[in-house]
Amino acid sequence: MKTKTIDFLLFNIGAIFVGLAAAGIMLTFLGENPIRVYSLLFTSVVRDRFTVANIFVRATPLIFTALAFAVTFKAKLFNIGAQGQFFIGCLVAVGFSLYLEGFLVPGVGLVIVFFLTLLGGGIYGGLIGYAKARFNANEFLVSMMSTYVALGVSDYLLRTLLMEARGEYPQTDTIQFYRLPIFVGGTRLHIGFIIAVVIAILVWVMMYKTTLGYRIRTVGQNREAAHLAGINTKRIFVIVFFISGALASLAGFTEVNGASYMLMRGFNSTIGAMGIGIAVLANANPISIIFVAVLFGTLIEGGMILMQVAGIPHSIIPLMQGFVMVSVLISYYVRTRVATLREKHRLQKAVGI
Amino acid sequence: MIEFFTILCANAFRMGTPLVLGAVGEVYSERTGVMMTAIEGVFLAGAFGGLVGAFLTQSLAMGFLIAILSGVIVASAHGWICVYLKQNQVVTGTAIAILVAGLCAFLFRVIFGVPLMPITVTPLRELPIPLLSSIPFFGRVLFSQNLLTYFMFVFVPLAYFVLYRTSLGLVIRSAGENPEAVEVAGIKVNRVRFFTVLFAGGVSGLAGAFYSIGFLGMYTDTIIGGRGWIAFAICFLGNWNPKGAFIGGIVFGFAEAFAISMQVGAGSAIFPNELLIALPYILTIVLAITRKAYNVPAKLGVSYGIEK
Amino acid sequence: MENPYVELLHVSKYFAKVIANHDVSIKIERGKVVALLGENGAGKSTIMKILYGLYRADEGKILMDGKEAQITSPREAIALGISMIQQHFSLVPVHTVTENIILGNVRGVIDRAASEASIRALSDKYAFGIDPNATVASLSVGEQQKVEILKALYLDSKLLIMDEPTAVLTPKESSMLMQFIRDFAAAGGAVVFITHKLKEVMEVADSVVVMRGGKVAGTLQKEGTNEQELAGLMIGKDLIPTTGGGRSVPDDAPVCLELNGVTLQNKGEVSSLEGITFQIRQGEVFGVAGVSGNGQLELCEVVCGATRPTGGSLTLNGEDITGAGINERIQKGIGYVPSDRQRDALVMDMTLAENMMLKSIDDPKWKINGLLLSERKIDRLTQQAIEDYNVKAPGPRAVIQGLSGGNQQKMVLARELISGERLIVFDQPTRGLDLGAIDLVHKTILAQRDAGKSILLVSTELTEIFALSDRVAVMYKGKIQGILERDKLDINRIGLLMAGYHDEEEEAASV
Repeated sequence: MKTKTIDFLLFNIGAIFVGLAAAGIMLTFLGENPIRVYSLLFTSVVRDRFTVANIFVRATPLIFTALAFAVTFKAKLFNIGAQGQFFIGCLVAVGFSLYLEGFLVPGVGLVIVFFLTLLGGGIYGGLIGYAKARFNANEFLVSMMSTYVALGVSDYLLRTLLMEARGEYPQTDTIQFYRLPIFVGGTRLHIGFIIAVVIAILVWVMMYKTTLGYRIRTVGQNREAAHLAGINTKRIFVIVFFISGALASLAGFTEVNGASYMLMRGFNSTIGAMGIGIAVLANANPISIIFVAVLFGTLIEGGMILMQVAGIPHSIIPLMQGFVMVSVLISYYVRTRVATLREKHRLQKAVGI
Repeated sequence: MIEFFTILCANAFRMGTPLVLGAVGEVYSERTGVMMTAIEGVFLAGAFGGLVGAFLTQSLAMGFLIAILSGVIVASAHGWICVYLKQNQVVTGTAIAILVAGLCAFLFRVIFGVPLMPITVTPLRELPIPLLSSIPFFGRVLFSQNLLTYFMFVFVPLAYFVLYRTSLGLVIRSAGENPEAVEVAGIKVNRVRFFTVLFAGGVSGLAGAFYSIGFLGMYTDTIIGGRGWIAFAICFLGNWNPKGAFIGGIVFGFAEAFAISMQVGAGSAIFPNELLIALPYILTIVLAITRKAYNVPAKLGVSYGIEK
Repeated sequence: MENPYVELLHVSKYFAKVIANHDVSIKIERGKVVALLGENGAGKSTIMKILYGLYRADEGKILMDGKEAQITSPREAIALGISMIQQHFSLVPVHTVTENIILGNVRGVIDRAASEASIRALSDKYAFGIDPNATVASLSVGEQQKVEILKALYLDSKLLIMDEPTAVLTPKESSMLMQFIRDFAAAGGAVVFITHKLKEVMEVADSVVVMRGGKVAGTLQKEGTNEQELAGLMIGKDLIPTTGGGRSVPDDAPVCLELNGVTLQNKGEVSSLEGITFQIRQGEVFGVAGVSGNGQLELCEVVCGATRPTGGSLTLNGEDITGAGINERIQKGIGYVPSDRQRDALVMDMTLAENMMLKSIDDPKWKINGLLLSERKIDRLTQQAIEDYNVKAPGPRAVIQGLSGGNQQKMVLARELISGERLIVFDQPTRGLDLGAIDLVHKTILAQRDAGKSILLVSTELTEIFALSDRVAVMYKGKIQGILERDKLDINRIGLLMAGYHDEEEEAASV
């Protein structure tokens, strides 16, 4: 058991290094020295508290979208549509925040917006689960396509109902009242990060300490056995997708009410995919997700700074993330292979003597 | 009205071409048991490789060749990780899609720097076939297309024939149904799967190039915009059959052509633009819910390996 | 002296977790039948898969006619004239017979008509009666086996390896297969016959290689050995058959389970259950015999609630449970030990403890304050089960995948005996187990009967049915062909019923 944990850490860290090195090699095509670029990246993200805090600001929505994928992944279902549920979350959050502007005490208003967002994304996600349970629709396809539908709805609302009062750009007005409090002075770090960490822990508790989590995992591991044990697998499909959609939509809540205070076209259009990457790296463990999300937050923040100070193209961020994800997948194979060979070797030695 | 409908149908075949090609490639791949979930990335790589190739050599043919090659390279990464390293196909596809998106944007910068003028090429022209193109309606719809569409007309029946009438097709179909049967017959299942994924990658790369050098004459990072996923969906909705992939591709091509003509025409007054753009995606959801899937390869998504 | 046709010399094979073969040497002669005898997990299949090129040996070599042969893939084995029929057939169910046979053996464009004609000729020559155009899924298991044999004949094989070929056959089909094997050998072919059944060895083999724990425990000629000696070699100790089964339950004992005209018919398909009617009394073992695939699985699932019948009714202790779901029936005390435990009963990647909870998830005994799961309580209860059933496992937190089949089955028993307070359904409870585990399962079943529970025992092993049942029903094509009282059990009558013949005596009695 112990060797397994050490292997896991060792191989994952190794894989992250290999992935970053591969992206580094690409940098040489631009005539850059990768060592210089990386040292610039890692020194500049810790250059001041504002930047350090920004890492966590960027990690916040990623924790949610990663959790969204992880929850369904545990049930061997695929929610590829976290991006769409995030858009829905953004719309609900910004819509109600602006609609309720001035009516309520900020604290109360935020709590109401929080739950409305959760409900909106939950229903949007839950419908995918329902389509799966009721019509045996392929959840992978439906969730994938639901993102583009959500995008269409979002773009439409941004130039009609939710468009700014000036009527100039496809974006909303700024939220004045219901902003998540900042808890580290002089930075942008809002309590959304704390909410994300608490929810990650709650998801862990649900997954491993409650009968619901047990049912979800059982459905994921063996649907036949789960069915014969009297677990209503279809109900689990709906519940899991509701939870997943709700989690993804909360990324919208923290982004809108905590970071940008408004919504515009093309807002955070890759966090769904990044969430999948993070969940995979973290082996779908909610606690590990927090740390991996912070790593991705670092890469994003660092990549942004590189763009500003060294003129490195913005695409270095997906490049680093992509290489890291692929090399982690390869390392999974190497890890199991090493473990197998180790056991086989041990057995052969035991026989040989 | 007839004029409008004729153009619509012609455009349906044009816009449907890459979808059909991608979907047929996906059919082959999935028939061996591997979901080429990297297809969105393969499309993008094809679009990128096509433009770079065509721009640098000033030859569309070279562009298409490099597009195919780009598709094969991306597919080889997907195939290697899914088939030989036995990793989850959905997860692998997503990872590769992210990587390819980053890679294309990055390499564009490496190759072209920050261009002052947009990088464009003259896209594939329509090539009316003498005589046939003068048949009323059908001449305009079927025989006044570009080379890629004609290629698709030949490719689909050929793909169907190979899949159902040749020994290679039998092996491909068996690999996704019962890999043990293939292995016991003395054929390496994983080799069959890997090379079929490469084939699917090549075809999808060609499909991706349609958007850059077959149609628009330029490249942007969002040029594919989920069409790879549509092709992926068509494979499912067409019940893993080249015929179904063809019909599906044309239906979706029609939806896209309809959306385009509505956007340019007076349609946007009736339907919001965004709804029209989302039309193919909505269609996918509706079909995924209403159509019963049959023919699903029994071992789709399951990697094969015996303990050595 | 002439070299043998095929000779395996000192072959060893190590998997990650087990030694599959250690220093195995086997000789195969032309015109002879070698029986490879051993219990499950003795390494019989592995050694033959090495010969067929599916596995690579870690040590040792293979000689053919005295010359070393490099067999690294089935392709080379096929080229050398070797064919192997796997225990689980390697057929593509949705393809036709022809497509299955020519897979990998044709090039280019398929000449369907020619292939079909040659396969039809082959099928006629051996009087198999297989339609080359039929879809494999539409064939019975016995016919599918003939397709596998046709495949070998089509390839003109000289050495035919058959892995447990009789497991899925009726007694009559078995004896036809034995005849085919003898004919094949008489024509100069060599046969390796993998089995764990002593009777078959004595019936068909010329020589016997007994394997135990991955090693050869003995190589004998059939003349000069007997079943006792073989059994001793096979299990390494003397075999003591379970006794104590079969007693008559008094007629006034209360009825526990009653099925009344239970029918299961899916739209447009032939009914998989038709008018099933029987009663099981308290403290009775009701055996169901039959060739597998004749509705036994459906019967079990209808009883435990996984499938709703389309007609008829079920009662448990007089209470109608026809409409009750699985959960409700678990609450009412129906336990179920399914035949495919890895698919239906266990979650292989979960721990022993997690598997223990499966049937009673909401029971407060697993929880702290009825809310969160308590690992301490779960571990304690699981540890108790491990000790009670003598499960060989590192502890409650071990993943159940790592356990042997027998120990996995013990965990299923531990769980189902608790939840099955009134009735326990056993479907093939000893499938794939070694003799020690089989004995424990049999004793457990009888102990549960003695405790007053009712038992529905489905098995394709007639010896098992005979050893344990108080009454026996025979199923054929979803129907009950007849129900025999304990004192009227007779292997020939059951064999006829299993093959679909009606029991005249029984019919006369019921009229």
